[in-house]
Amino acid sequence: MATDVIVRPVLEWQAGTVTAIRTETRQTKSFTFALPKWMVHRPGQHYDVRLTAPDGYRTERSYSIASPPERVGELELTVELIPDGEVSPYMHEVLMRGDQLEVRGPIGGYFVWDVSLGGPLLLVGGGSGVVPLMAMLRHRTAQHSTVPARMLYSSRSADDVIYHDELDGLAARDRAFEAFYTFTRQPPAGWTGYRRRIDAAMLAEVIRPFDKRARVYVCGPTLLVESVANALVQMELPTEQIRTERFGPTGA
Amino acid sequence: MANDETDMNTALMVDGNAVAGQLEQIFGRDMTMTVARCAGCSRDAAIGALMAFIRGPGVVLRCPACQSAIARIVETPTAIYLEARGAAYLRMTPQP
Repeated sequence: MATDVIVRPVLEWQAGTVTAIRTETRQTKSFTFALPKWMVHRPGQHYDVRLTAPDGYRTERSYSIASPPERVGELELTVELIPDGEVSPYMHEVLMRGDQLEVRGPIGGYFVWDVSLGGPLLLVGGGSGVVPLMAMLRHRTAQHSTVPARMLYSSRSADDVIYHDELDGLAARDRAFEAFYTFTRQPPAGWTGYRRRIDAAMLAEVIRPFDKRARVYVCGPTLLVESVANALVQMELPTEQIRTERFGPTGA
Repeated sequence: MANDETDMNTALMVDGNAVAGQLEQIFGRDMTMTVARCAGCSRDAAIGALMAFIRGPGVVLRCPACQSAIARIVETPTAIYLEARGAAYLRMTPQP
């Protein structure tokens, strides 16, 4: 991918056409768009989505890209339903295949990882914070990268784990990748793994083989990101190896 | 009570990544990797890593080290106001 030689056009709104909608969990759906002006993105970047009411009222939200840049011409966003939100209920309950939606992107250069940055890679996600991390993993797989990677993923229950089958499948096939789950409300029956919020002890266990060489990407609700980032700094991981993205109270 | 308010503010806080689109619209380039030096404490932080408060009528970006306001952005129907006296400077790589 010659990402460096593409002249970046002005960021502008365009109408994406929904080509597929997939239910991921009770609270999340993935939307695939065809874009008239598709541009290669870097894993971790997001798109802004804008809604305009008949009276001209406008509102917009940012949603992480779930698809890897290798999926040329398509854009996939995984969106968590925020019941009292303004954009996600429309996307979940109104938007249908064939509909159009205003989007602009790709946006952001801080919370990004691609194989050229190397590893070892520790991805820490809470809830729908897993979405940009999945784009990184999908890109890593598409590039046949052997960069060692681990994911630590916090969910309320097993039903809330987004991309569960894909993550387990990847962990089974790819010896350089491991997924660690923790459940904060209801672990599955017979679960012997973590069953608490991510804390310093858990991070220390998961990061151990990578030690201070780890590049860490943390994405999720603000309070989770704050506590994970603080714990990493306490562990004396160089701050330039830590990248964070905060979603606010519950999600984007 | 004060603690509840602090916790609520923290929970509602996002980071500079959340206003990346708005900043790119203003500056014509990605600004999240641009470094801002805090005029209050002189520490450097990438704009993507600044604390961002976006639930008000405008956006406030704060220093992650000392919490001083680095910049405020307000959009009206006819103008964009960007006040950045909390930044000693911005450091960015030249565009190719």
